[in-house]
Amino acid sequence: MHRRRVAFVLIAAALLPAAAAGQTVSHRGFLEVRGVGYPQTTASDSTRLVGEALVRHEVTAKPAPWLRLEGHADLRGDTHGQTDWGGPALSDRSTKRPALSIRRLDAMLAKGPVSLDLGKQFVRWGKTDILNPTDRFAPRDYLAVVDSEILAVTGGRLTVGLQSNALDLVAARFTPSRMPLVENRWSGITGGPAGTAFADGGAAHPARAQLGARWNHVGSGFECSLSAFRGNTHLPVFAAGTPALPGGTAFPPAGPPPAGALVGPAPIRVARAFPEMWMLGADAAVPLSPATIKGEAAFFGSGDARAGEYWLYVIQLERQRGEWVFVGGYAGEAVTRPRAGGAFAPDRGLAKAFLGRASYTIDAARSAAFEGAVRQTGDGAWLRFEYSQASGRHLRLTIRATIIGGAAGDFLGRYARNSHVTVGVRYSY
Amino acid sequence: MTRCIRVLSVTLPLALGLVQPRTAAAQSAREVMEESQKRGQAASQHYEGLLQVVDARGKISDKRWIFDRLGSHGRSRAVLTFMEPPEVRGVALLVVNHPDRASDQWMWTPAIQRERRIALQDRSTRFFGTDFSFEDLEERDTEQYDFRAIADETIDGAACWKIEAKPRAGKSSQYTLSYVWVRKDNYAFQLVENYAKGALARRLRYSRIENVQGIWAGRVLEMTDVRRNSRTVLTLDKLQYNLPMKEERFTLQALRRQ
Repeated sequence: MHRRRVAFVLIAAALLPAAAAGQTVSHRGFLEVRGVGYPQTTASDSTRLVGEALVRHEVTAKPAPWLRLEGHADLRGDTHGQTDWGGPALSDRSTKRPALSIRRLDAMLAKGPVSLDLGKQFVRWGKTDILNPTDRFAPRDYLAVVDSEILAVTGGRLTVGLQSNALDLVAARFTPSRMPLVENRWSGITGGPAGTAFADGGAAHPARAQLGARWNHVGSGFECSLSAFRGNTHLPVFAAGTPALPGGTAFPPAGPPPAGALVGPAPIRVARAFPEMWMLGADAAVPLSPATIKGEAAFFGSGDARAGEYWLYVIQLERQRGEWVFVGGYAGEAVTRPRAGGAFAPDRGLAKAFLGRASYTIDAARSAAFEGAVRQTGDGAWLRFEYSQASGRHLRLTIRATIIGGAAGDFLGRYARNSHVTVGVRYSY
Repeated sequence: MTRCIRVLSVTLPLALGLVQPRTAAAQSAREVMEESQKRGQAASQHYEGLLQVVDARGKISDKRWIFDRLGSHGRSRAVLTFMEPPEVRGVALLVVNHPDRASDQWMWTPAIQRERRIALQDRSTRFFGTDFSFEDLEERDTEQYDFRAIADETIDGAACWKIEAKPRAGKSSQYTLSYVWVRKDNYAFQLVENYAKGALARRLRYSRIENVQGIWAGRVLEMTDVRRNSRTVLTLDKLQYNLPMKEERFTLQALRRQ
């Protein structure tokens, strides 16, 4: 831990003089204020209006042609108890969003076809949209499940190669996805004994490194990748004695309360674990005249029964027509060994579903989009309409209406009472 | 997207010249167009672009970018990086042009830290909501068109050849024909009118035509969408040709390194 902090201090120290010198330093960021209105309450949450504010500042410095330094910081708050008001955070392991966090802090050294990126950084794999089975170094903040945001990972990334062939090697410290707060409406708890309260039971974060390799090839008229990963799932399973939550069995569990769980005035503690797993995957894109075909598939294996073993795959078509862009596809799942126990698994929760997005550029300042996912069984659906309009060079207004419906036993259906409208204003600088 | 970049880069303001004016009869329409293309050729190109979109109500919105291109005429690679407005700063587009097929394009979006291959089946799509379509921004290789001399006319005070250009069979285009006015003094484009189904669709006017490192280029391009009654003005600042550029800058990996 001490060495890691020293490394971050060194990167930050390198950023400052470059900034002071005013050489190849750029700043960007935004202030965003959002209001979210929920027409319905849930069993665990009676809040109907939520306010959120976020200030994000990003600094990029290039003190030398072979060196790029990048630092991003977030300052945020909300009215719904989703913010951790403790000190500055670097690790992204808290259950709540830190009020002040270092979102990214890394140094990239590049020479010819080789680049080495060290620090807290974003690593994105895969080619499809909405769901990326091979994107293993991209944990997310799922506090509001359908409005997730990527989290950075801390580690090293070595990339060798140029356009035609590139090899990507990644070693990172484990960063978990941030699941919904158990007392929040996005916990997905749809029932339970009256007066039952829930509390976070902590998490056992794995210490071992998360390792991955990806080879990408850009050919004549196609593009493909092979990827491998060994580490832990960043989506939590629930430890023994914890009632199941979305993606697992329905709450409350059938039969007597789990051993160790206290029902009544004392809260039920929900503890998280992150079983080891490995993945082999591939993705491809083929641009054709009627449409571009993109696909992605991965097999997830594990020696831990809590993780299960399964395939996830996505196939999608993408086409531009005038000012419209259409993306449509299917996300599938094939389970070869069911997991034991409950888990929070939005990736699998979006599988066995038809996915689509249609966006329309009205003019240089305005756009509209419609997107959604419908489970093939019809048990769950998520639909969203978004209108966005810029005003001047700095302001943008975005209005979103999200409708979620379905059966309580379905991953999406669990959030049926979380349909909402979001109005956001962003000032970019 | 890719194609548009080409236009922005290479083709727009082509031509140079210190050639004695000749009549259309003395020089065929094809020869004029080939000469224009030849004179606009450069190993690389760099400029900072200011794009101003003026809608039907007179409202103006600005975008700025930096454009770099290596190679020319169907064998080029280009990177366009947006600088303004702030919300799109850092968004970059990589275009790999091929002489025998549609270009490959990827867009890097810093907000999601991901490059994404862009589907581009419809070249009539407007470029970022402007009045330029992707096709308008393409390099137009003369081999893709049939030409016919129409008349000698004066446009904005410059003597020009008016030439009709029709896409050859098998070459798809949103336009059924175009009229191109090529300046007689330097072979630069002065005006282009594009027709679709017999009606004028877009008009591209070149101004501030200057000689930059031996290449005559319009520094200001105004595209009018006649049907939408809106126009977009593209100004090329800090235009330079034949700068030394490394091929490794024009790769997916380089997008992430920006």
